[in-house]
Amino acid sequence: MQDFSEASDPQLVTSIGRYNEVALAEVYRRHGGAVFGLARRVLDNVTEAEDVTQEVFLRLWNEPERFDPSRGSLRSFLLAQSHARSVDVIRSQNARRAREAKDAMKTATRTYDMQNEAWDLTVAYQVTQALAGLPIDERRAIELAYFEGRTYVQVAQILNQPEGTVKSRIRSGMRRMRGALIDAGVKEVNQL
Amino acid sequence: MNHEEASELLPALALNAVEGDERSAAEEHVAGCPHCQSELDWLIDVAGAVGTTVEPLPDDLWSKISSRLYEDRGQHETPSMPLAKEVGIVAPAHRQRPSRRPRAQLMPIVVGVAAVIVAVLTFQIVRADEHASSLQRALNASARNEVAAALATPGRVLVSLNGASHERLAQFVMLPDGRGYLVSSKLPTLDAGETYQLWGVIDGKSISIGLMGRSPSSIAFTVSGPPQPSELAVTVEPSGGTATPTSPILAAGLT
Repeated sequence: MQDFSEASDPQLVTSIGRYNEVALAEVYRRHGGAVFGLARRVLDNVTEAEDVTQEVFLRLWNEPERFDPSRGSLRSFLLAQSHARSVDVIRSQNARRAREAKDAMKTATRTYDMQNEAWDLTVAYQVTQALAGLPIDERRAIELAYFEGRTYVQVAQILNQPEGTVKSRIRSGMRRMRGALIDAGVKEVNQL
Repeated sequence: MNHEEASELLPALALNAVEGDERSAAEEHVAGCPHCQSELDWLIDVAGAVGTTVEPLPDDLWSKISSRLYEDRGQHETPSMPLAKEVGIVAPAHRQRPSRRPRAQLMPIVVGVAAVIVAVLTFQIVRADEHASSLQRALNASARNEVAAALATPGRVLVSLNGASHERLAQFVMLPDGRGYLVSSKLPTLDAGETYQLWGVIDGKSISIGLMGRSPSSIAFTVSGPPQPSELAVTVEPSGGTATPTSPILAAGLT
């Protein structure tokens, strides 16, 4: 059996392009927990999170060329897929109905939880610090959009703020996060 | 949607917080705008970092995935045991095999299977070709990992090389042991016959550190010292480089 334990992520994707299942298994071993973890966090439902995780890895298997290593890491690519699909599920009629019961209290609780959960070991401290360091308005806007699956229009309504303000706060928060992660050496700088 | 409108939406787009026609319009603009594409890439990267949390995987999830690998093609059953071992997950105890068919039906099936095999092999070759360049990209990724490791090294120094208008054209990270890496570059691609050359200024003299090529991306160097250069500078030189700078300094920065 081929040993892919030392292979880079792009090498694994190349092998997946040649229908190498062991390579896909190695990608699953490395990133499956993160893909599933994000889906479960967004969906708050294990079964739906499993479905999303299956879709993400089957899509990588069928369309490996969609991953371009020059544009970011495989982890980021897979998490983006996981998040997008999870948000799709949230916005479906049934999931939306179930989530209507969640009120602002839930959001507050989740915010607290988010800061206390175990993050991926390599970025745990830095990400937590970076998030905690954001102004509360920026952090709330990002959390509502990312972890609650809200559109920026909905975030504006929830926070009772103009849409333009919410867009600006998301942008500002993301920039601060990026700067903090780069300073901490967690993220690479691909462009100035 | 114009560039300004799309640019404003990018952070929300990275968080999947835009939908409907607005999303379609933004994505259409991004597809044709390298600047927005680059911006969106790093925003998605940051979002990935924000969303990184690892949970134990359900025991049977890999089995579900592996059993569906050839679902669309109806090709053959997935040999799951090696995969299951590879990821440390117990494989299902039983796998159903296709039922045997009467011998009289065998020939058309064989022909059909042969056609499928030819088609699959052809498709695999095409896919292999499509991914040939990925090996080079893997090397680039490896270089980026070195840069990331350098950025995380205690005592590292970031050196920004600015142009005449104070715009940052390149950034290096230098380690205490003399190793240095290009972190990022906005240096435009040069014409054939030219190269960027990196210089270290030591005691007021420019010492060549190395050639950076026409379009710098992955650069690593080692300055044996002490003394270490007090300044890094970049000039444009004929390909092959020169012993001393022959053109004005394009960008420079103090270490």
